[in-house]
Amino acid sequence: MGRCHVLIWLRRTFGSSIGSKALMACTGLVLIGFLFAHLGGNLLLFADADGAAFDAYATALEHSPLLPLAEAGLALLFCAHIVLGVRVQRANREARETAYRVRRTHGARTPGSRTMVATGLVILLFLVAHLYDFRLCRPEGDSLALIVRERLASPSGLVLYGAGVLALGLHLTHALRSALHTLGLHHPRYEALVDRASFLLGFVLGLAFLSFPLVFFLGGAA
Amino acid sequence: MGASPTTLRLTLHVWRQASRDLPGAFEVHHLEGISVDMSFLEMLDVLNEGLTSQGREPFCFDHDCREGICGMCSLVINGQVHGPDQEITTCQLHMRHFADGDTIVVEPFRARALPVVRDLVVDRSAFDRIIAEGGYISTDAGSAPEGNALPISTAAADEAMDAAACIGCAGCVAACPNASAMLFTAAKVSHLAQLPQGEPERERRVLAMVERMDREGFGGCTNERECQAACPKGISVAHIARLNREFLRSSVLGRS
Repeated sequence: MGRCHVLIWLRRTFGSSIGSKALMACTGLVLIGFLFAHLGGNLLLFADADGAAFDAYATALEHSPLLPLAEAGLALLFCAHIVLGVRVQRANREARETAYRVRRTHGARTPGSRTMVATGLVILLFLVAHLYDFRLCRPEGDSLALIVRERLASPSGLVLYGAGVLALGLHLTHALRSALHTLGLHHPRYEALVDRASFLLGFVLGLAFLSFPLVFFLGGAA
Repeated sequence: MGASPTTLRLTLHVWRQASRDLPGAFEVHHLEGISVDMSFLEMLDVLNEGLTSQGREPFCFDHDCREGICGMCSLVINGQVHGPDQEITTCQLHMRHFADGDTIVVEPFRARALPVVRDLVVDRSAFDRIIAEGGYISTDAGSAPEGNALPISTAAADEAMDAAACIGCAGCVAACPNASAMLFTAAKVSHLAQLPQGEPERERRVLAMVERMDREGFGGCTNERECQAACPKGISVAHIARLNREFLRSSVLGRS
């Protein structure tokens, strides 16, 4: 297959509605995996009072030679997921130029499925603020655990991180079942199970990430 | 407890649009004495008879068999495709589902790929063009073969038959928040993909039909399942998963 044929194949496959959604589903599933890893690291904030465990983990991560590669990969995944999401949403908006005067659901939509675009936008804004807080503009040499605790203990931290992780949880309640369906993974026997697992994933991850701003705001940074 | 009324007084907001290129608007009409045993289309017939007797233009709306099998009727009633009941077409909807004094908003299907031709009639030829890209088998099937000559498992035959129940009414597009035609295309692809008669063109069919579906300007599926809930024939979104699978398999592993 020549280079030209490969380009045609790539354009035809991933330029199609199904192909671009399949890519979006794959990036989303990998990002769910990242969220579990991120949560695992964050839970070290609860391991001790002085944050030594979390700081040790953060230091090990920062000195890892694989960190630039992992960060580049994550950035690529996020960008691909966002760009594909915007593209799909734009095509979907263009597909109905005149809105219905009255719109009533037939009962299949869920709060998560209805708000995928809105929660996606909130997550994007939250992501920028989150990177600004702890990756791009944090003071050199200070304990990261202390910086995190102080930020989350503030009212603005509670509002920002609370809203961000609640949007993330709601987004995830539809994400898993939608991604699997888009990749063609569907069986009537497991349909209800996948729906429940998707809801549970959003609920558990949302609540787990919400615990950090809640605990530090209510308990103070110390 | 009072008895249910046998006739209804209704206020109708009906979409009026002279042609594809002209803007439309809702017209308000009041009807009295509508029997609860009438179908929704019969109620519109009464409205049109009244308008005609007054020398006014009746409303155009699609209909044909009026027994739920042709897929011609195509209305959005109070925001719901084919009205408030489950697994029926508009012609099977009866006025007993409405209450005396109700206001009913009647709109055409809304999608860029299904433009309004006039009033409540939309152009659904985009579906014909999707079918023309491969929603058929090219072999000369001849007369009906002996029943057991071609082994097909019961499960495959049942699922293919479920998919073949699609009447192409486009209710799935109208109900989808994204105006996606995935359920229609999926039903056609899934129907033929499960049968040996559809096997020789299986890969080419799915690629060509999806490409045409995208080119027609339908939206993409975000798996909200409104199409399944609105479908008068109860076509399952499982067929959409099969379409996704068929497309990805044919794209990545296909020989064409």
